[in-house]
Amino acid sequence: MQPDDLTRVLAPKLGENLLGVEAFEGMAGRVRFRREAALDLFRAVRDDLSFAHLSMVGGIDWVDHREVFYVAWSDSARQYVLLSTDVPATDAHVETASAVWPSANWHERETWELVDITFDHHPDLRHLLTPDGYAFHPLLRSFKIHEPEELEVKTRHV
Amino acid sequence: MSEMWINMGPQHPMTHGLWNLRVRIDGEVVLDVDPEMGYLHRGIEKISEDRHYNEVVTLMDRTCYVAGLAWEHLYILASEQALHITPPERAQYIRMTCEEFQRIGSHIMWYAAFVNDIGLMTPFLYGMRDRDLVLDLFQSFTGARMTYEYMRVGGVRNDLPPTFTDQARKVLDWLTDRFREYDQLCLGSSIFHKRCDHLGVLKANDCIAHGVTGPMLRSAGVKRDLRKDRPYARYDAVDFDVAVADGADVTARYLVRMEEMRQSIRILRQTVDWLEHHPGPVMAEHLPRWLGAPYAPVGREGYLLKRNYAKGVGFSAVEEPHGEAQAYVVNEGTEHPYRVKFRSPIFANLSAARQYLVGYRVADIPPIMGSVDPCIGEVDR
Repeated sequence: MQPDDLTRVLAPKLGENLLGVEAFEGMAGRVRFRREAALDLFRAVRDDLSFAHLSMVGGIDWVDHREVFYVAWSDSARQYVLLSTDVPATDAHVETASAVWPSANWHERETWELVDITFDHHPDLRHLLTPDGYAFHPLLRSFKIHEPEELEVKTRHV
Repeated sequence: MSEMWINMGPQHPMTHGLWNLRVRIDGEVVLDVDPEMGYLHRGIEKISEDRHYNEVVTLMDRTCYVAGLAWEHLYILASEQALHITPPERAQYIRMTCEEFQRIGSHIMWYAAFVNDIGLMTPFLYGMRDRDLVLDLFQSFTGARMTYEYMRVGGVRNDLPPTFTDQARKVLDWLTDRFREYDQLCLGSSIFHKRCDHLGVLKANDCIAHGVTGPMLRSAGVKRDLRKDRPYARYDAVDFDVAVADGADVTARYLVRMEEMRQSIRILRQTVDWLEHHPGPVMAEHLPRWLGAPYAPVGREGYLLKRNYAKGVGFSAVEEPHGEAQAYVVNEGTEHPYRVKFRSPIFANLSAARQYLVGYRVADIPPIMGSVDPCIGEVDR
């Protein structure tokens, strides 16, 4: 599968919310989209392009904005595809992919706590790797690992 | 009887690491589970942002402490793509050899721990004995038995010693016989079948929806292996079969892992032969000085000057012993990676815990979780 094949399927579904499909070494391509069309894109990628397996969700802090990226695998094409969208740092949220791919659940929890990107309508947005009530987002560039942090750990009572 | 939540972990023989499985039970029946992670979170992705590319290799050994070389391979492949560096062919074969021996070592470690969970003590001791032979091999060329720090961007740290090929063949011959013995000890034991058959069933559709990969996915009959489907290093040049089973239960996962070890031996016989007849450099030439590779020592300019190098993004996916591991490395033209993101296969396999634990008994949890082969170092990173 080539970037052109992705464009051909995705462009009619997303319209102007598809910002472009670039070539990416070792992958079918890198799809850049506006976050408003996130759910439409996920469904199209899973159902029309047969990328049934979501492998990874991650976030990158570019200081002035943040990027959310998704990696999905297609068994028929035997290829990965990279989806990415930019969100403003002051209003970092995007629709959850876990309604389309249940495997996004934990990846989004991790991205939420570490990169401070909220996933709307996520079924279970709790801390995963950091303790409950941990108010820091370690993977932001503004988080310096050499400075002490004040931390109050809450125990989760059963 | 009334329902209640109990904690299995963080210190429980079933956990094989440091995590907590909260289980809601009614009598003996599991109604719900909620894995609690984070006990081993060391912020490896964050620490990587402050390190040089080759210094991150140190962290990779700590990411998964039973499959350090596979994780080094993963990170190095992504970094090389981000930095636009091609390693020499001999280095690629050495990396494949490392990864396959690591797969055997990791699977034997899994075997030893898993059979111990279901009450077979003898195979545990056999497994630990045989894994030492693999560690001896690693020690002969990396100098370490657990934290190897062997691979470098552009190649590997040093070539194999001249005795390696003979020693490796002896180990492979020994292991071929031992795996037959392992099977007799387990598949011939009625305890094994009583505790493993038809347990922890996770069908192919659920596996794919929940991102489950590796032996768990192949045990559900899906023939998927990145070494075949998306060959990296020189896996396209070696001949092997993908191990699959169709039971989707604990026994099927056992069968898949045992077959994988046999296939690894098959791959290793080919790579060891190749390495014997193809001497050559193990490190790429013309590496940037700041990379700190042995052939390109770091000079003052490397540390003092922040120059603009070519930018790039690297993505790699490796069939790690536990499943599909992925790395995403963003190079913004400095000596440090801007962002490193890892995908741990067990992270996804554990996130589906509700799918393969609910409905079974409390006493079934140790064999089921044992068949998942959790390594918490790579889940929490």
